[in-house]
Amino acid sequence: MNKKLLLSLRFVLIFATVLVMTYSKRGLYVFAPGYTIALIYLVSNFVLYFLSEDVLSKPLVSFSIFLFDIVTISLGIYVTQGVETDFYLIYFLVIFVASIGQGIGGSIPIAIVASIIYGWMIYRANPGISLLDSKFLIRIPFLFIISLVSSYWSHSARRELKKKKELEEFTRQLETEVARVSAKETELREYSEKVINSVTSGVIAVRNDGTITTLNPEAERILELQREEAIGQNIKGVDRLSALWQKMEHSMNSGTLILREEVSILNKEDESIPVGASISPITETKENLSGCVAIFRDLSEIRALEEKLKQAERLSYLGKMASWIAHEIRNPLTAIGGFAQLLETADDKEKVKLFSSEISKGTQRINNIIDDILAFARTKRNVAYTDINLRSLIESITSSLSNMNVLISGDKPPTIKGEIDSMRRLFINLINNSIEAMEENGRLEINFSQENDYYVTEIIDNGRGISKQDIKKLFTPFYTTKQRGTGLGLSIVKKTVDEHHGKIEIESKKGTGTRVRVYLPKEPKVDNTAT
Amino acid sequence: MKKRVLVCDDEESIRLLLHETLKENYDVTEAADGREALRLARSEPFDLIIIDIKMPGKHGIEAIEQIRESNKNVPIIICSAYRLLEDDNALKTADVAAFITKPLDIKTLKKKVSELME
Repeated sequence: MNKKLLLSLRFVLIFATVLVMTYSKRGLYVFAPGYTIALIYLVSNFVLYFLSEDVLSKPLVSFSIFLFDIVTISLGIYVTQGVETDFYLIYFLVIFVASIGQGIGGSIPIAIVASIIYGWMIYRANPGISLLDSKFLIRIPFLFIISLVSSYWSHSARRELKKKKELEEFTRQLETEVARVSAKETELREYSEKVINSVTSGVIAVRNDGTITTLNPEAERILELQREEAIGQNIKGVDRLSALWQKMEHSMNSGTLILREEVSILNKEDESIPVGASISPITETKENLSGCVAIFRDLSEIRALEEKLKQAERLSYLGKMASWIAHEIRNPLTAIGGFAQLLETADDKEKVKLFSSEISKGTQRINNIIDDILAFARTKRNVAYTDINLRSLIESITSSLSNMNVLISGDKPPTIKGEIDSMRRLFINLINNSIEAMEENGRLEINFSQENDYYVTEIIDNGRGISKQDIKKLFTPFYTTKQRGTGLGLSIVKKTVDEHHGKIEIESKKGTGTRVRVYLPKEPKVDNTAT
Repeated sequence: MKKRVLVCDDEESIRLLLHETLKENYDVTEAADGREALRLARSEPFDLIIIDIKMPGKHGIEAIEQIRESNKNVPIIICSAYRLLEDDNALKTADVAAFITKPLDIKTLKKKVSELME
């Protein structure tokens, strides 16, 4: 029982006591002892006002207060001869208050004390009265009945109150938890938004019907969309982005990831913007795809740089080609010019023959160089494909290598369809490279095998090998590791292999040797570019 | 006794041409690459060296630099298909007497050799 309630109920008790004493048999006048009792009663309540709630809530203290109330009221009854009146009803109020404060454990002892005092006062007022008199038989049990009923009522009320409080506490905790979770969710959402907005790539997410749900600042810039207008808008309605939507739709329909694919979108000026996009479906459950997200970058600058690089490479090739032509042609030209001058003064027949032969060799050399340039620079050829037995072709090349240990092994003779001249040049180039890389007692192995749809020709030498740095540049035109190389040989080899839809691999270790694998398709493929 | 000329070029035709051009007046020795030229220059006395730059084995400039380490006086003529800027830088320190660009005129070559032999 809290302090405020106790003080209020006691004021009611005091008021009831004063009221009953005032209208008692003797009546109340200023100097009557009942007035003093009422005053003491009132003062006691003011004293209680200064006691703390902790003190008041102690069982002994509150029991003493109710005991004081019973004694005070009994005194009031005694001095006003209220035993014959209805004054005793005030006991009910005290018992009631005690039951509110302490339950049945407090109200029954109070009822006992009240019944003893009241019983004594009845006996004193009516000496010789029988215990079976209605004054005892009716009034005394009523004190206990009131005690029990009020205790039950206060217990029930307390229980309800407790339940209510528990419910209120639960509701409060629930509200706190909801507020906490809600704040956390807001914080997480804001954090995710910040993360997405901080990404230097464009991020766009759509539902499976195409409705845009997320658009970060970089996506706004690249796609030329305003976030406020775009969110909720359907991407299908933006024709400029139809290529991107097609990829997104494909990703959602197939449920597969699209990694770094180039897509062309249009800007508002209808200019094509190359965009490198990775698209992944957003999965709610395995069966239900709720949309997809695309992360993309504007490749315009990269493409422009690539174009510049290509331009620079083209110029670099031109420069290299010019110096290459100068060197390769000026040497035979020197021989032709020089021997022609010598011919003018040659009187010996043998000398004339020798000089003429050197002039012929020079012209042949120049012709070979021109062939190399044409082979490297050509785009389309009108040469028909014929059956080529690779083994016979290679044997015809290696048969002239008298001072070289050549071992040819492998599967049955592989026959491909191809350009015979290009193929001959290809294998002459590769075999010459191997021979040039080997010292005396070099060993050249040529092995034929099959791998899936390809015939594989391996050319293996035990020469000086190629450094890792040089391997990367082997197919670069005009790049040569040889002092006397033209730098075009492997470029032409690569070009021929590509034209025949094959592939070439080179493995090498410095000081150990080189292994070249040429893959040529078993079935010829139709090349639409060849006419 | 004829004066001695060392001719170094990886192209056999060029070696033959230089040999035929100069043999009337000089004793010509041939080297097919820079390494051979260096070996000959170190072991035999020559009055003139004609050398190409772009050759297998040893680059002409490198060969000249090494020849100069043991012989600071022998006149050297470079006979090359083209002249690169980086070669120029190397030639400044190599003290080369002349640079003849291919295709060469044999009369000019003969004249140049004759001047240097005097």
